[in-house]
Amino acid sequence: MDAMPQIPARPAAGPGAPPLVLLRGIAKYFPGVVANQDVDLEVRPGEIHALLGENGAGKSTLMNILTGIYQPDAGEIIIEGYGKSFASPVEAIAAGIGMVHQHFKLVQAFTVAENIHLGWAETPRRIRAAALEARTAELADKFNLAVRPGARVGELSTGEQQRVEILRVLARQAKVLILDEPTAVLTPSEARELFRALRTFAAGGNAVIFISHKLDEVLEISDRVSVLRGGRKVTTLPTAECSEASLARLMVGHEIVLSDLRGRGPDAAPVSAEPVLRLSGVSLADELGTPLLSDISLEVRAGEILGIAGVAGNGQKELSQVLTGIRAPSAGAIELGGAPVLRAGAEAFARFGVGHIPEDRLHSGLAPALSVADNAVIREYKRPPVSRGPWYRPGAAAALARSIAGTAEVSVPDFSMPIRNLSGGNQQRLVARREMRIAHKVLVAAYPSRGLDVGAINTMMRYFVELRDAGAGVILISEELEELLNLSDRIAVLFHGRLMGTIPADKADVEQIGLMMGGQRLAAPARVLEEA
Amino acid sequence: MGYRLQRLPTARSGISLAARAGAILAALLLAALVLAASGADPLALAAEVYDSTFGSSFGLEDLGLLVTPLILTGLSVAVALKIGAWNIGAEGQFYAGAFAATAVGLFVPLPEPLMLPLMALAGMAGGMAWILVPTLARAYAGVSELITTLLLNFVAILLVYYVATGPWLDRKTNALAATARVPYEMPEFWGIVHWGFPLSILLALAVALVMNRTTWGYEVRIGGSNPSAAAYAGMPVRRHIIAVMLLSGAIAGLAGMFELAGTVHRLQGGISNNFGYLGIMVAVLARGSAIGVLAGAVLMGVILNSGIILQTQGLNTSTVLAITGLILFFTAIGDELAHYRLVRTEQATA
Repeated sequence: MDAMPQIPARPAAGPGAPPLVLLRGIAKYFPGVVANQDVDLEVRPGEIHALLGENGAGKSTLMNILTGIYQPDAGEIIIEGYGKSFASPVEAIAAGIGMVHQHFKLVQAFTVAENIHLGWAETPRRIRAAALEARTAELADKFNLAVRPGARVGELSTGEQQRVEILRVLARQAKVLILDEPTAVLTPSEARELFRALRTFAAGGNAVIFISHKLDEVLEISDRVSVLRGGRKVTTLPTAECSEASLARLMVGHEIVLSDLRGRGPDAAPVSAEPVLRLSGVSLADELGTPLLSDISLEVRAGEILGIAGVAGNGQKELSQVLTGIRAPSAGAIELGGAPVLRAGAEAFARFGVGHIPEDRLHSGLAPALSVADNAVIREYKRPPVSRGPWYRPGAAAALARSIAGTAEVSVPDFSMPIRNLSGGNQQRLVARREMRIAHKVLVAAYPSRGLDVGAINTMMRYFVELRDAGAGVILISEELEELLNLSDRIAVLFHGRLMGTIPADKADVEQIGLMMGGQRLAAPARVLEEA
Repeated sequence: MGYRLQRLPTARSGISLAARAGAILAALLLAALVLAASGADPLALAAEVYDSTFGSSFGLEDLGLLVTPLILTGLSVAVALKIGAWNIGAEGQFYAGAFAATAVGLFVPLPEPLMLPLMALAGMAGGMAWILVPTLARAYAGVSELITTLLLNFVAILLVYYVATGPWLDRKTNALAATARVPYEMPEFWGIVHWGFPLSILLALAVALVMNRTTWGYEVRIGGSNPSAAAYAGMPVRRHIIAVMLLSGAIAGLAGMFELAGTVHRLQGGISNNFGYLGIMVAVLARGSAIGVLAGAVLMGVILNSGIILQTQGLNTSTVLAITGLILFFTAIGDELAHYRLVRTEQATA
């Protein structure tokens, strides 16, 4: 990085400069939970500091304390040598600490310029839209973040919206920029662009706190890494001294191996000759006739894992809905266990033994306001012991919920509390275990690792292997190629609602799958190979 | 050392009960203050209200008569809430039920023992008919039932005014703007309280049982909480919306029939006494729970009864309405505050 004339002139920090942020002995307690305890954190000027930890390790709580959303129960916040206490995010940003949350807080109907100037003391009381946009363009130029000042935020891509959020924070003279899982919503090229902007920002004597649980990213972008586990800080290390394996070990407390899980033990059920679920020529269109899925033919056999790769939004959600009977295809045929399905219906599919881990569990797999017990039995409420005839038995439902929570290793203090009170990771584990109970034949898992940390992802992958070895067919829809290559026996690629081809995972290479994800059909020879 | 408030995700039931009691007390205290400031003697008024309501069996009987329709309209709104629908039209369905029951009672010549059951069925059918269009519009076209049920109230109210003062007007006495007396009456249960009172309580218990202890009720609760989750599990959400909303209309219609055959005996404008709208308050106070409706209806009944007594003491109806509003307002605050607890911080953070 050479000279950056457009960066606000701030003297590069010398060795004697105080840390931009110093947290000492921070503790935060919620009822029954220690969210943070004895956390010390030092962020120096000019550095990108990664904050790494599993779900529930206390990363977000710590950052919410630093940005004034929560107040610590103990400990000190020292900003550039001065002790501070923030009663609200407004006070934190005034002290130069700004955060970009995972879920953007932008007004969709406003323009970029309006969003940047919203609720900002420096916004002139009366100003024309053109002047507002000019100011925004100036800011964008100054911080090297390309945005279109006049565009409505609702029309922007996620990457552009994120840039607006960052610009909004930087415009308020932030010296410390906190980013919560910033790349989760970005394409690889957008992520690279973001990284470049972050480096430029840090080079001006500022600091970035980068929250993530993606190890490769942390290694790529950060100068130092602090690892949190169970609400406490484990250590802070220079990134140069870390490797993926060592970070993973620090994060979960034991070694994690994300590797080939395709091998079978001697007890594993063999792959069946006949498919347990088959789609032939399936198409789906919305009410306006726009095709969502076109001419999809695929089959999954008992005892195998079929991976579905593709960039999110290429028909994955619709495919999982067709595969589980929630939506009936507008053309084509579905066979379950060799028999054609005449009337689709999620209940009939579930009764046959199709389990489904939906992509957004809280919105499609759970009733957030109802109890953990009610949610745990959504697949089995019609059978004994949860019901007898027409009678639903809350006691039996709670007992089943307790056993599901037991196998999922989720501790639930009270089974009558609303399930939305559980963390996202715990909800996901409960849903996975609940679905595995009924998935005797097929499990359709859409983005099962989304939002989970390494430890939880590994547990989830073990679940799938367990299910496969027990003789069920697993359809794994994911955007993580590594995960797909580790687990799947065959990988199909979805692009614009069409299958670009299916390849055996041991013959697949990332490059080829990448091309197919971009819309290139599998060349003929490989197709022959598959059918051989 | 410092103290700070901390918000909990769920309020403990003991605390939220205490918060509600505190809220009602606070509302009454505020009302007492205002009354005192305007020259009345709140203590004397309170004593008068207490004596007239709980001091005699007459007072309690009056209360029972008020509570009966409130249980049913509250239950009607609470039932619809289970599937996620706001039935603002219990008022209109109440009128429609009273109207249908009157039509049967005045014009259907059948042996007497059949008449009351038939009127009850007609009342329920009337309520269902009144919610049918909003139900279908919601189930098939996603039209907000909030607006449609509300607007149909005015149609029902005006329809009843019209028939009671026009075609069905009692020409014999000619003094009343009402229909002739319907000759079939709900038998008395206790004093002037008719059998509608215990039947309403039984109905509330039955609804609670169905919602919490049957697989149908389970499906309704899931569908009301998250329709996508219900679709995911293959539950017939649309069918449940239709069934539950019709049930809601039927219960409100039954309230109208009870009021007609148990208390008023003639169809007339204003027969509902706003019971349909008050049912919304009852359901909200009960947080949508069928059992809670019983407590909410008693509370609302006491307030209404106090209002009637206070009017004899020279206070006007708006005062009573204001007290009702205060109680609801304070309850909402109390419910929110029940989520907080006070924690002591070991170190001052400033």
